[in-house]
Amino acid sequence: MIEFRGVNKWFGALHVLKDITLSVEPREVVVVCGPSGSGKSTLIRCINGLETIKDGDLVVDGQRLGDRATNMTELRTEIGFVFQAFNLYPHKTALENVTLAPIHVRKIARAEAEASGREMLAKVGLGDKFNAYPSELSGGQQQRVAIARCLCMRPKIMLFDEPTSALDPEMISEVLDVMVGVAEEGMTMMVVTHEMGFARKVAQRVVFMDAGAVVETGTPEEFFSDPKTDRSRAFLSKILRH
Amino acid sequence: MIWFQLQSLMGSYPLALRGLGMTIALSGISLVLGTILGFALGVLRTSGSRWLDSAIGLWVDLIRGTPFLVQIFLIFFILPELGIELDAFTAGIIALTNLAACFICEIVAAGIRSVPTGQVEAALASGLSQWQRMRQVVLPQAMRVSLPPLVGQYVLLIKDSSVVSAIGLTDLTRVGWLVVQRVPNGLLVFAIVGIGYFVVCYPLILLARRLERRMSAAHGEVQL
Repeated sequence: MIEFRGVNKWFGALHVLKDITLSVEPREVVVVCGPSGSGKSTLIRCINGLETIKDGDLVVDGQRLGDRATNMTELRTEIGFVFQAFNLYPHKTALENVTLAPIHVRKIARAEAEASGREMLAKVGLGDKFNAYPSELSGGQQQRVAIARCLCMRPKIMLFDEPTSALDPEMISEVLDVMVGVAEEGMTMMVVTHEMGFARKVAQRVVFMDAGAVVETGTPEEFFSDPKTDRSRAFLSKILRH
Repeated sequence: MIWFQLQSLMGSYPLALRGLGMTIALSGISLVLGTILGFALGVLRTSGSRWLDSAIGLWVDLIRGTPFLVQIFLIFFILPELGIELDAFTAGIIALTNLAACFICEIVAAGIRSVPTGQVEAALASGLSQWQRMRQVVLPQAMRVSLPPLVGQYVLLIKDSSVVSAIGLTDLTRVGWLVVQRVPNGLLVFAIVGIGYFVVCYPLILLARRLERRMSAAHGEVQL
């Protein structure tokens, strides 16, 4: 579904992605973790073209990014992206947020889009917030609207860029619960997160990155109980200490 | 004495109405055209093409850095030398539209730049086209920032329209010059001219103030 082959990227002189080779199968859930600045956000932002790669191949849903034949705008409709800062449209209600792309990109009739938008919002536990503006919602609620916004496009892939890092602790679980539900329905997911409970519960694989390179991959079981490298051990001891 | 002058002023009221009409027509037409052109330029300026950005920026700086009177003279007296014949009204419209477009371009571009990049990324990630991103996500948020200064700019431009009297258009200001030749009371005549402008501008000033207040309160789209 997603395949990186020898991908490199630089920000100026900074080598942010170093020779990444990694593939994600359909219906697979992969958690990406690593210290801040390790390139994990950049990695998943490349998948929907929010960042461009310098060399190597990146094939998403059978299409090679950067090819003339690849229509990036079309490909993006198949990829949901959840941001750390939610990025809901502040001038639109929850329902308008989730129906905007279905109506304008998928060209679904408004009534139909609103019906499935309501259904999706109810599914993430916001059945009573259709007409609320983002500023009237808590962080956890906003992030759930953002997830519903992606799901309304019926994507093939969902990418999550630190979806709970901007949340107060008591709101993290309501967002993780929704993500677990999405994973259990068989979505192909790449999730940048330090929520190890989530990784243990639904991830098939954990990818550990440091300084722009993939240092270690393994099942959550292997990775957490028996990390292979010094860097992953050092990282785990830091995030699991508390 | 003043009673006599007032009486003779009354006789000039058809001329005054014509002048007011001319001022309103001039400003109305050029504000509409200038707004459309200004929005287009503002959107182009932020579209990511560095070449377009600096070309528009240079033009805007040129227009903002030269007196409006000089611009009008250039259009009205120099263009005919190049074989482009213009009547005074068209020349006035062109000059005012251009001036309005340049100021509005800057206001719109500043509004667009104030929209957080996360908003554009979210729109991009959901597959909206460039025009849809602009229309659905960026412009509505940019307008919240731009609307109050935009309306304020309208007031300035209506007042700037008085400069077109210099090329012989009978607008409100020129009517003042004509009347004062018959009724030699400059203070009275131009006080009335001033009131004429104020009557047109004041509702806009109130509107700008109202928009500014509503901007901080509203979380939805700002409605007029």
